Amino acid sequence: MNFPAELKYTKDHEWLKAIDETTALVGITDFAQSELGDLVFINLPQEGDEVTADESFCDVESVKAVSDVMSPCTGVIAEVNTELEDEPQLLNEDPYGAWIAKVKDISAYGELMTADEYEALVQK
Amino acid sequence: MSDLKRTQLYDVHVAAGAAMVDFGGWEMPIKYPTDIVAEHLYTRHACSLFDVSHMGRILVEGPEMVPFLQHVLSSNVMALDLNQAQYAIIPNENGGAVDDAYLYRFEEDRYLLVVNAANTDKDLAHLNEQIKNYDAKMTVITGDWAAIAVQGPKAKEILQKLSGGEAITEPVKNALNTLQFEGRTVRVAKTGYTGEPIGYEVYIESAEAAWLWNRLIELGAKPAGLGARDTCRLEACLPLYGHEMGVDPEGKEIPVFAVPLAKFAVSFSEQKGDFIGREPLAKQYEVFKRIMNRDFSDLTGLPRRIMPITLLDKGVMRAGMPVYKGDKLIGYVTSGTMVPYYRHEGEGLSTVILEEAAKRSIGLAIVDSDTLEDDKVQIDVRGRRLKAVIPPYHMRVDAPPFARPILYRPDEEDTAAASGDRAPKALKLIGRALENHVWRQEKCVNLIPSEMTPSRAVRLLCASDPAFRYAEHKKVKSFYDADVFYYQGTEFIDEVEQLLVEEMKAFMGCAEVETRCVSGQMSNTCVFSALMDWKNRLNRKQDPKRLGYIMNNHIIKGGHLSAQPMGALHDYIAIDPVTERHALVNFPVCKDNIYKIDVEETRKAIDQYRPEFIIFGKSMVLHKEPVAAIRKYVDDMGLQTTIMYDMAHVLGLIGDHFQKPFQEGAEIVTGSTHKTFFGPQRGVVGVNYKKGELKYGLWETIESRAFPGSVSNHHLGTQLGLLMAAYEMNQFKDEYQKAVVSNAKSFAKSLKAAGLDVAGDPAIDYTETHQVIVNVGYGTGPEVAMRLERNNIICNYQATPEEEGFTASGALRMGVNEMTRFGFGPAEFDKLAQIMADCILRGREVKEDVEALRAGYTEMKYCFTEEQAASALNELAKKTGI
Repeated sequence: MNFPAELKYTKDHEWLKAIDETTALVGITDFAQSELGDLVFINLPQEGDEVTADESFCDVESVKAVSDVMSPCTGVIAEVNTELEDEPQLLNEDPYGAWIAKVKDISAYGELMTADEYEALVQK
Repeated sequence: MSDLKRTQLYDVHVAAGAAMVDFGGWEMPIKYPTDIVAEHLYTRHACSLFDVSHMGRILVEGPEMVPFLQHVLSSNVMALDLNQAQYAIIPNENGGAVDDAYLYRFEEDRYLLVVNAANTDKDLAHLNEQIKNYDAKMTVITGDWAAIAVQGPKAKEILQKLSGGEAITEPVKNALNTLQFEGRTVRVAKTGYTGEPIGYEVYIESAEAAWLWNRLIELGAKPAGLGARDTCRLEACLPLYGHEMGVDPEGKEIPVFAVPLAKFAVSFSEQKGDFIGREPLAKQYEVFKRIMNRDFSDLTGLPRRIMPITLLDKGVMRAGMPVYKGDKLIGYVTSGTMVPYYRHEGEGLSTVILEEAAKRSIGLAIVDSDTLEDDKVQIDVRGRRLKAVIPPYHMRVDAPPFARPILYRPDEEDTAAASGDRAPKALKLIGRALENHVWRQEKCVNLIPSEMTPSRAVRLLCASDPAFRYAEHKKVKSFYDADVFYYQGTEFIDEVEQLLVEEMKAFMGCAEVETRCVSGQMSNTCVFSALMDWKNRLNRKQDPKRLGYIMNNHIIKGGHLSAQPMGALHDYIAIDPVTERHALVNFPVCKDNIYKIDVEETRKAIDQYRPEFIIFGKSMVLHKEPVAAIRKYVDDMGLQTTIMYDMAHVLGLIGDHFQKPFQEGAEIVTGSTHKTFFGPQRGVVGVNYKKGELKYGLWETIESRAFPGSVSNHHLGTQLGLLMAAYEMNQFKDEYQKAVVSNAKSFAKSLKAAGLDVAGDPAIDYTETHQVIVNVGYGTGPEVAMRLERNNIICNYQATPEEEGFTASGALRMGVNEMTRFGFGPAEFDKLAQIMADCILRGREVKEDVEALRAGYTEMKYCFTEEQAASALNELAKKTGI
């Protein structure tokens, strides 16, 4: 299991990669993809959507079930990774490369953990 | 999960890294590290193992086991022969399902009932209540025997490595067998829940379960969990209890007939008596029939049915989501997910399954019974209405060994009607016909055993004037059975027909011949129709009774299509009221030679079924048929059985070098005149009934079923050609027939020596006919036959008696008849064998070698070639403008 040190993590298994003070990429963690199994569909947010920290902004579906993805921050969707629409399995293959959305105008963050803290959480 | 039950294979799953979940009280693998998508695809492409040891396995035995099972199951248990399985529903009093189940008969004196794991306790409580009234007992053996499903196109190949090459089961769905896998006893069923056309379920004693699982993995199978099992069954549209059976998302009980499989699983046979749920099921069946006829006026009892559903928009449907047609709620998704499949390209037999996978969003839904295929609907996917459609199915399995995903495609628009100037089209047609003629007649080696090029004389006669005429005629008793013609200008054809009848009587060795049938299949239809008419001749005041029991060669054992219920027997064979199947029994074949009838076993079958009609003859034929032995047995038994020999393939071999059917005791012989015989494409019926005999009436019925029963116009041109062919045959048969049989033996030996796997008995040089069968590898027959065609060798791929169907064919069927007529002898067939081995085994392009070989053999033999005949033919050609 991989926990890149430069990322921040949520207890709901999303990651956030800060680009600057108010912009960040968000996605789901290696642990999340492994628990969900083969992802077969993603319901992406749309550019311009306002998202709120700790609220669902997207959902991903495995063969067996659908799961909400919670936003790690409050802001506005600047860009979505449309590649995932046709190839949701990229979330399984490369969870930290397959970002889901770029969020801009970030005004608040949810409770974020460091890599070490997150690793301790999932290994409990 | 400590309270959960574990199967015999629990440790194996954990060691393999499976994710274990609670499934119906059992701790089961949902997936392995490979994950569901890969497991699903590996099942479809190769072979997966599923642990199904959690399913409830109940042995039922005792003197009243059959009445008990008839009472508690929906199916007709009397229809279940030894070594067969059947799908059944355990109905409740309301016409709903307690559970669905599979009933296996591995032994004469006990049945094995397999039920859903989660329902086992409920089922047992229900069944224990019922069994009190019967002298029968149930024993749960779930813990004693493990069950492993081995599913996928490679399943047979893998299992045969464990059986030492022995056939696993008969190649038909629901066949069972008990055999040894490396010294361990296993019971195998050709059943499964993945929809795979090649799938087995293997039962083995618990202590050996891990051994078997690990051996199967060593041999190339991979484990798959419940996740892939669910996506596979969904793609195959197989119902799952709790989704498509039980209660629907509104909490209403789902009627049994809502499930499409019900029409196979429910029997109202009198044999079953008053079984549980009979009355409501019979009512549902009435509604079901109305629905199938699109009468939706009263759907009481069956308001909704399970249908497949495909999402057209992007998204995933899940069980419980509402389905709408327009604004109307018409039902709910009962199962749904994204299911992977391999893409394919090409059409028909040239379809290639690609390595690239894709996914589609499919499901099953319970929807209003007036919903039709192709209806456009919407699914409410978490608040969004997504477009969906009702497809006819998600997958088809009629081109084994692969299950084929069927993607929803709206009907393509009709192509515009042909239009424009036809003159260039006419010219093109002539050019194409010339190309084809030259290719087949000068460049190809023709090895289709059902084909024969006729001589120039036969071809010219076929095209001369009678070809455009009518000559209906019928024997009239008032004129002492003289033939009366309905049209004038027919004197010549009258003479021709009389001569033809005489020539064919002489050739076949019988008392009467009918030559008006224009094909072998029509000849069979005439005979079957006449037999049924003859059977009912003393009572015309009620529906005629059909024929049964009939004994024939099973189609997968080489039997003729035209002597099967799906062929010419279709309208004439009875349904056995006990088994609710065709009153048909097949010739048993020898264990050590599946191409040969087992006479001893046939006698036993005759004892048991006392057939009224026996049909010998095959289209994949290496041996003589045991006509004399069976005739003697039938006579000794004092049976009134009619014995027919359908000699379609071997008509031209009647004589000293093969068989004389009438001398051996056949009463009726039918045949095609264009396979080993020299003629144009027609059919013929011969009988050995003589005037004054009781069955001469049957002969007269056969004549009347030919005309006016089957033909009004019996194609006079080819009848004229056939007379010439009969002259040729009667003149040259001795040397021709001898050459055909010895060429076939010689060709078989050459093919074997060239490294090919020739079927049949080496002790008789593999064949006693014109045919040679070569095994080229399971499922590869079509590809090899197409490769040979590209190289100008024309033969046909053939499913052997161990294969599931034509696309799974692993053999080539070849006949030496046509090339023998063009002068091929052992040396030429030996050369051909080398060329074929090069092409088949080494993939070499051999087209030029084939053309060179054929070039020396374009002159027809065994026909009248002397100067006088040749110049007369030239004159005929000139006058007929040919």
